[in-house]
Amino acid sequence: MRILFGLLISLLCLAAPCFADGPTDDDPLEGFNRPMFSFNDTVDVYVLEPVAKGWDKVVPNRVQTSISSFFENLRSPYDCVHGLLQARPHQAAVSFARFIGNTTFGLAGFFDPMSDWGLQSSSEDFGQTFAVWGIPSGPYLVLPFMGPSTIRDTAGFTADSISTVHGWFIPAIYPIFSTATRTVNDRARALKTVRNIKEASVDYYTAVRNGYLQRRQAQIQNRRGAATSADDDLYKIDEE
Amino acid sequence: MNRLLSAASLAVMGLLLTVSAPAKAEDSPSLVVQRTGDAVTAVLADAGQSVGQKRHGVEAIVYEQFDFVTLSRLVLGRNWKQLSPEQQTQFVEEFRRHLSVTYSKNIGDYKGEKPVVTADRKESDGDWTVKSKIVRPGAEDVAVDYRLRQSDGRWKVIDVIVEGVSLVANFRSQFQEIVSKDGAPKLIDMLREKNSKGESFKSNVQVGKN
Repeated sequence: MRILFGLLISLLCLAAPCFADGPTDDDPLEGFNRPMFSFNDTVDVYVLEPVAKGWDKVVPNRVQTSISSFFENLRSPYDCVHGLLQARPHQAAVSFARFIGNTTFGLAGFFDPMSDWGLQSSSEDFGQTFAVWGIPSGPYLVLPFMGPSTIRDTAGFTADSISTVHGWFIPAIYPIFSTATRTVNDRARALKTVRNIKEASVDYYTAVRNGYLQRRQAQIQNRRGAATSADDDLYKIDEE
Repeated sequence: MNRLLSAASLAVMGLLLTVSAPAKAEDSPSLVVQRTGDAVTAVLADAGQSVGQKRHGVEAIVYEQFDFVTLSRLVLGRNWKQLSPEQQTQFVEEFRRHLSVTYSKNIGDYKGEKPVVTADRKESDGDWTVKSKIVRPGAEDVAVDYRLRQSDGRWKVIDVIVEGVSLVANFRSQFQEIVSKDGAPKLIDMLREKNSKGESFKSNVQVGKN
């Protein structure tokens, strides 16, 4: 496993120079991505969404929020490690404090009192850490079942899966059960949102691609608002 | 993916909670955003109004405070010049209607969210970015930034950025593909068709628990 991980990183570093800097709206793999995106959407419409709707009928909203907080809390130590890997000690400390506080005062993480105290979560992963290390994103890539990604985020996702602690110490049935619960619960919480995006977009595929790339860029820079050096071209009126 | 989705849905609220009240020429960008955000919130929280009345109220406020012509030009980018003046007017109208039709579906879902301006800064081109958060009871805040540009002596909103995702950039990306493949008139037709469909569904707006 570790060898595979090392191999991935070195491959990525070798391949790095052929990728442009930062994510753009270029989509060289569109021919692959679009069919994959509609495949995912079909799976969603016929399998995941109906299951999530059932879940949403049975499980009260407050419980859904708690389940989501519980899983987020389990991730906190991992966020902390990534804070360190990204040389962001303050952020690592916040993640650590959140884990201790929410596990105790938040009753095993089912509640999130630390957010009310101003310690907001920051969800970190290897895709973001790689970006901080200077590895470019590479082209946008839609993965089967997993959805929007890039070459870098795919490598990151693989590293995430390998490095997740429970994968090593706990029988396989637990991760399968917990992933299923989390997936359905998250989807249930996003029922309205997905419907909104489908309705509000004129081209759903492109709206999701652009939204994903913008959002990842913000996460990598650990900002929640507009970019500091906003894209000048975006706000320039073409006068000729 | 889910974070992206929730961000996008909150864009919806962000847009709704944006702006209002007759502004004076000397109002700063921050003041414009805060005051009008409060005005929209007041409409949304008014139990005496139907969803339809609220939509009209919010529309009036947002239409007053957004510079939809500039917003449309930015969204179309270079393609704006390809449109005849008549098509440009049509595009602004249909795009504005598109935002209204789709985002107003969430009006019935208001649950006490409050907009709070947190900071502002001047951009190199003279625009201002006003940073705000939407405080939601029992949920994490949502970061919503507004970019404002001065026109006729008043600051008007030209972009909304929700959790780092710019509305202008997102629509530009979508429209770019459509215009380069099928041309601008096709885009206007698509918007118009989607809008009339959206309007007819409007009567069944579901005020569910989600």
